[in-house]
Amino acid sequence: MPAEKSDLLQGTLDMLILKVVALGPIHGYGVSQRIRQISKEVLQVQQGSLYPALHRLEKRGWIEAEWGESEHGRQARFYKLSARGRKQLTAEEMNWRRLAEAVGLILETAR
Amino acid sequence: MPWWRSLFLNRSREPELDRELRFHIEEMTEAHIAAGLAPEEARRQAVIEFGGHQQIKEDLRDVHRIAILDRTLANLRAGLRFMRKSPAFAITVILTLALGIGANSAVFSAIDAILLRPLPFPQGDRLMRLAQSNRRVKDPESAVAPVRLEDWNRMNSTFQAIAGYYTEDESESSGALPEKLTRALVTPRFLQVLGVSPALGRDFAPDEERFGGPSAVLISDRFWRRRFGADPNAIGRRLRYAGSPITIVGVMPASFLFPERDVDLWSAVPMDAPYGQSRESTWFRVIGRLKPGITLGQARADLAIVQAHLGREYPKTDADLDVSVQPLKETTVGGVRRSLWMLYGSVSLLLLIACTNIAALLLSRATHRQHEIAIRFSLGASRLEVVAQLLTEALLLAVAGSTLGLMLAKGAAILFRAAGQYVPRVEEIGLDWRLALYTLACAVTATLLCALVPAIRATRGGLAGSLAQASRTQVSARNPLQLLLVGVQVALAVTLLAGAGLLVRSFQALGRVSPGFEASHVLTFHVTGNYGETTDMKGLTQRIQRTLNSLRLVPGVEATATAATLPGVPTQWSAEFKVVETAADPARKIMAESRFVSPGYFETLHIPLLAGEICRETTLNFNIVVNRSFAETYFPRSSIMGRHLQTPNNGFLPPGEVRGIVGDAREMGMNVAPVPTVYWCASAPMPDPFFLVRTHNDPMSMAQTIRRKMHEIDPARSVFEIMPLEEHLDDAFAENRLRTVLLVFFALTAVSLALMGLYGMLSYFVSVRRRETGLRLALGALPGQILRHFLLQGLGVTLLGCLAGLGLAAALTRLLAGMLYGVSPSDGTTLLGVILMVVALAAIASLAPAFRAARVEPMRVLREE
Repeated sequence: MPAEKSDLLQGTLDMLILKVVALGPIHGYGVSQRIRQISKEVLQVQQGSLYPALHRLEKRGWIEAEWGESEHGRQARFYKLSARGRKQLTAEEMNWRRLAEAVGLILETAR
Repeated sequence: MPWWRSLFLNRSREPELDRELRFHIEEMTEAHIAAGLAPEEARRQAVIEFGGHQQIKEDLRDVHRIAILDRTLANLRAGLRFMRKSPAFAITVILTLALGIGANSAVFSAIDAILLRPLPFPQGDRLMRLAQSNRRVKDPESAVAPVRLEDWNRMNSTFQAIAGYYTEDESESSGALPEKLTRALVTPRFLQVLGVSPALGRDFAPDEERFGGPSAVLISDRFWRRRFGADPNAIGRRLRYAGSPITIVGVMPASFLFPERDVDLWSAVPMDAPYGQSRESTWFRVIGRLKPGITLGQARADLAIVQAHLGREYPKTDADLDVSVQPLKETTVGGVRRSLWMLYGSVSLLLLIACTNIAALLLSRATHRQHEIAIRFSLGASRLEVVAQLLTEALLLAVAGSTLGLMLAKGAAILFRAAGQYVPRVEEIGLDWRLALYTLACAVTATLLCALVPAIRATRGGLAGSLAQASRTQVSARNPLQLLLVGVQVALAVTLLAGAGLLVRSFQALGRVSPGFEASHVLTFHVTGNYGETTDMKGLTQRIQRTLNSLRLVPGVEATATAATLPGVPTQWSAEFKVVETAADPARKIMAESRFVSPGYFETLHIPLLAGEICRETTLNFNIVVNRSFAETYFPRSSIMGRHLQTPNNGFLPPGEVRGIVGDAREMGMNVAPVPTVYWCASAPMPDPFFLVRTHNDPMSMAQTIRRKMHEIDPARSVFEIMPLEEHLDDAFAENRLRTVLLVFFALTAVSLALMGLYGMLSYFVSVRRRETGLRLALGALPGQILRHFLLQGLGVTLLGCLAGLGLAAALTRLLAGMLYGVSPSDGTTLLGVILMVVALAAIASLAPAFRAARVEPMRVLREE
């Protein structure tokens, strides 16, 4: 499965998507573009991981989907954050910060 | 993708997935165009970059699928855990369901094999039974003349082919001892009509079907194995049958059992034989295969036209004849249809009782599990999820129960085959995928019936009350639903028991009937003979008379006789009669049954002579004896003695002189009152009539003596089917007895289930009301009052159930009307007996829990608080 290739992102992809979706309703293509732009082209999300992740998050009730019109006038599926998703995002952000801090501490000390 | 995964797939999601992914590709294409690529190239690039479209879709499907799959698996695991935790409960449910579903599947397997499936021939639904019927005679065995059969076959336009057959029993004497073999004599086209070919060898060649052509015989698989040890070289060997050599040309498949189960040989009848050209012969039972697309109505209309044509051509013999066309399957299995559906109805009631029983069990179980369910709610489970879990648990139990039930049904198939050799097609009953599928369907239905209501009720309270309210603080649990469930069980059980009671009582009534003849101490048997002998009727009669006289001299024998049919074994042969001496009165038709018997018949069966004398068999003219009903119905004032009776339009039967009047006997079956009957004195109406021998002692003890004597008299012939007359009479009711025994078994099972339900409910009530009971005892109630309270609760619901059951029985037992003898469907004694029995048993079942309640120790219960 392509999802296996982006192991690095596996734990964090969900959080990144939640974060991007939190900025306002956005379609799948938009999510992948936004992640690329914000990360300054460092992170590239494969479609093969993106869409299963979107659907998984939707299934868990963290994001909601709705059909709408894109900027080019096409029908696209727009995702937005739900109340539960917002709680989840906060929790994951906190988790991530703690983890990053801890990893950072270890790296500092080990130097 | 494994096939089962598609079960969990929601197809309606597909177009949406496609649209979403397509949008992505379009946006990418747009971006490429903006970057300066040509539209086509841009699209190509986008598709390549997007990667495996199908793979992504499959992954997306997985996202949606796995959730459902996971939950189902989790539910199954929970169900198994639940079964391990309370094995007694699980075993009770599984056994109850196994019984309910097993009985149901067993009867269904019989219905499926006998009634639902086409006959075991290619396109068996196109096979028809044809018969000729004389408008003036009611004769079930309307055999057809060879020439007429050929006329039908040639002149009709709706049948592919029409063929006929008859069977006879003769001796095969190529072995050390003569052996009786059953041979079917068949017309050309016989195998073509049935659509069957020999498994080994070939069908008859055209010259073997012509008069004077070489003799040829097809043998049954059974005979091939028995005699030749399944040796393929048996083809070409010779048998010596009825004194003439015949060559084996083929072996039929093992599954080919037509026209009878025990046919050993098939040989061709030459249709051009000079002795077979009379239009008045009655030789063949006839079958035909419809052309594709032809309806029964079209075939009937076609043959009516053909026969009308023949009626004009041969007014003397054909004008009065009609042709009847019936599906062959209908004529084979029609007789057992009602019995089978009746049994199916009763096992369905039984299954309903089992389900109700289990529903009540689950209901009381759910109350114990309220706490667990409340915790699941508080952990965020939705009501649907909890209900799904409870249903999965029940389904698991039901599948286990139905697997056991399927084994039960398989066992029953063996039982059917052993007990029901008088039921058509029993050899086809067995375990197959249709039965397995049906049983599975039963399991699912049972789950929904048993578990849905308890599951919905258990989850109704939701989270709010149940966590707070621990079951021990409950004061009283009056549960009208549980009372209702027990009441329903009692009602259904009473219905079944009433039906069973009526069948048993009608059997008793049959046993009390005085048949007008004495069946005990009469031995019956056949001696092989063939229709070829009928070309010399005088010789045939002399042979049989000689045999009768020799047997009469054997010590221990009181009287001997022959008869074409057995008394008390259902046969009908009714015809119109005319008195030769007086002009016929068209307003008063004389209809009577005909029986062909030797003069010794009346002495052998102890049928008393009332007037005149017993007939004599002379070569000059026919003698006749009539029964009392005949004399009293048609000749109440004048004497019939000495007059001559004749059946019109029958070239074979000359007028007969009435010599005497005998007592009425139940010739047509023990359950049919005697009708006007004419006995024709003829020892040899056919080459192998029934021999009847009255013995001093147990008839079977004479069997060997008679066999030896017959060997002395006529060593080339074999004696077969030696059995007491009483056994024949029993066999005539074999199907009747089988259905009675089965219904009684089902009814008793139903009653036990209902009583178990009652006992379970009361025990449950007693246990949840222990505190209340203790309190009442502490406040001065007497144990007797407590006992009476619970006992009355049990009896009350039983009585209500009985009343409902009576109503149901009144509606349903009417279906039994045709199966009853000497007892009406609303027989008061039976119904009262059923109610008394159920109430008495219910009292016993209620006593134990009621005693337990009365023995509650108030101090202990109150201290438990």
